[in-house]
Amino acid sequence: MRLIAGVDIGNSTTEVCIGEIDNLGNVTFPASASCPTTGTKGTVVNVHGIKSALKEAMAKIGKDVSDISLIRLNEAAPVIGDTAMETLTETVITDSSMIGHNPSTPAGAGQAVGKLIGFQNLGSARQNEPYILVVPARYSYEDIASVVNRINGMINIEGIILQADEAVLVYNRLDKKIPVIDEVKQIDKVPDGEIAAIEVALEGQGVRMLSNPYGIATLLNLDAEQTRKVTPIAKSLVGKRSAVVIKTPAGNVKENVLPAGEIYLSGEKDISVNLDEGAEKIMKTVADAGKINDITGQSGTNVGNMFERIKTGMSDLGTVEKSDIHITDILAVDTLAPVKISGALAGETCLEKAVGVAAMVKTHHLPMEKIAESLRQDLGTDVVVAGVEAIMAGLGAVTTPGTKLPLAILDMGGGSTDAAIINENGEISMVHQAGAGELVSMLIQTELGLEDRHMAEQIKRYPLAKVESLFHMRLENGQMTFVEDSIDPRFYGRVVLLSENGLIRMEKDIPMEKIVQVRRDAKRKVFVTNAFRALKTVAPDGNLKNVSNVVLVGGSAEDFEIPEMLLEEFANYRIVCGRGNIRGCEGPRNAVATGLVLSYVGEMK
Amino acid sequence: MIVKRPSIFVYTNRHDDIMLKEICAGIEEEGVFFEVFEKDFQDLATLSFDAANESMMGSGIGISRGSVALAMKGVQKGKFVEYYDKPTHEECRKIGANSARIIKKMPLK
Repeated sequence: MRLIAGVDIGNSTTEVCIGEIDNLGNVTFPASASCPTTGTKGTVVNVHGIKSALKEAMAKIGKDVSDISLIRLNEAAPVIGDTAMETLTETVITDSSMIGHNPSTPAGAGQAVGKLIGFQNLGSARQNEPYILVVPARYSYEDIASVVNRINGMINIEGIILQADEAVLVYNRLDKKIPVIDEVKQIDKVPDGEIAAIEVALEGQGVRMLSNPYGIATLLNLDAEQTRKVTPIAKSLVGKRSAVVIKTPAGNVKENVLPAGEIYLSGEKDISVNLDEGAEKIMKTVADAGKINDITGQSGTNVGNMFERIKTGMSDLGTVEKSDIHITDILAVDTLAPVKISGALAGETCLEKAVGVAAMVKTHHLPMEKIAESLRQDLGTDVVVAGVEAIMAGLGAVTTPGTKLPLAILDMGGGSTDAAIINENGEISMVHQAGAGELVSMLIQTELGLEDRHMAEQIKRYPLAKVESLFHMRLENGQMTFVEDSIDPRFYGRVVLLSENGLIRMEKDIPMEKIVQVRRDAKRKVFVTNAFRALKTVAPDGNLKNVSNVVLVGGSAEDFEIPEMLLEEFANYRIVCGRGNIRGCEGPRNAVATGLVLSYVGEMK
Repeated sequence: MIVKRPSIFVYTNRHDDIMLKEICAGIEEEGVFFEVFEKDFQDLATLSFDAANESMMGSGIGISRGSVALAMKGVQKGKFVEYYDKPTHEECRKIGANSARIIKKMPLK
């Protein structure tokens, strides 16, 4: 009886499968484990991850790593994926400043125009001139109200901007009712002496005048050219509960528009496509180009910078020289990215059309032998590099109950989507494609304007719920769940993620429906597009009708909705498609590791 | 016929005036009604629990000397949504605002 281990090093996780082989050559699988990959796939630092995964697996059967008589590593596919994003329209230039925000409690509906005046400068105010009063947080609501009431009739105050959250408190104490905006954090950036327009929306509505370019023109007396320039401001104020637009002297901002640029593909055919044309056209061009050797962008443009960034990022990993990096596939996806508006006083952004790109780089042969050598020395165990990844994945995938050859595998990982078809004779055709889980995370992050990628990863992974009281929450599918013990008040009224370790709070105030929509769209755009693209490439005669079974494996196949999305799409082609269940118990993970053990048994026979 | 106004109840015992004023300002800013009652017992758990259960909106604040607690109807007695001993002005505002936000079903501050 011998114990052998199959080890699969992936972009994000390292999988281990332990096989026990008796004297008759029968194999059983007592344990398996997975750990995060340490370092970039294919580098010697991977050894740490491998060792901890082996330890974890062996601990499950009460044995030590030294009991393993043979370790088999996969010949990892020499591809690394990366993502980048670029907007089509560069920097929005305006000669007005603006604050548009959603304080929870502004007061006094309506709009007002006047000269901005600081509370401390009220003494210099003149009669017969309309003013907008600007008050820092150090003044109390009672002082503000009593001063405004006292000068009422002498100095004409048309509206108030507060730094503190006290709009209702001030408004309730005013004799003459005027619009009051509060929670303007960076009040010191509001310039004294300029003309400004403020608006507080009616109950249940968004602002009307300041979200309309002609409305701004009316309030601030703008000509046609100026009105054209404030359009982005109006656009970014749509749906806000309150807004401030300040007219600043023109001419101090220069326009600097960077063109989107051309993508050059060099392959069987050399063609180019403009980023402006959108994702669909770009992907068609990629398909037309056939087998691609390298992809570059026009220098000095957005797309040029984007590809440059990807290549620099890759060479920083230290596995390859920058001149040796060739992008062999891209997946382009239409998206929206928040762009900072110049002149925005509180860092407001507006959503602009953008293209997200996942690129895949073919590297030289990965130094798997070095990893094997290092592992051999550390553990004193026999280590061999065995088998092509796709074939191993195929061998593993066939252990899913209900499958037979010919079989197509879609391996959806973090960095790339790989497809392979194995026919009855064991012959295999395969393809590696750019774009997988990491691109989905990037799309979620940019479209929701999240600060960090980690939160986007969580949103991708877990379903949502809204905590509606301390005792119940509504799940994203409309279901309600009730809890025995009250929910922590920190989650009250918020959108949360249902992770296996309890609730995760969404810090940003985004409606649940919006998050669900962005998440599903991102997954569909990446995985459905890529699944079709990949299967068309490997299918006999390039025809999907010649594929009968598709088994989904890899980390992204564990997702709670991607397999269903693909099943729905593939059902139109009468393809049986579903999440793999390796050895009937592992789910979609561990296919390659299992394949490595099985191939050993095959070699023995 | 409406018997009770839909308001947050604030039950106090030997309270600090400035503290009470800030708490009420917190509620007022959120636009919810409130009523203040002076009580003759000083147990904070009872003050806030009774306030929450007797308020039509199910949200109540108890103030006993320098301590303040926010309670919600249905939550067991002695379990506070928020609690401060010798709170700052900001904390008073916050607990007031949160008592209103519970009713409005908005995320707490």
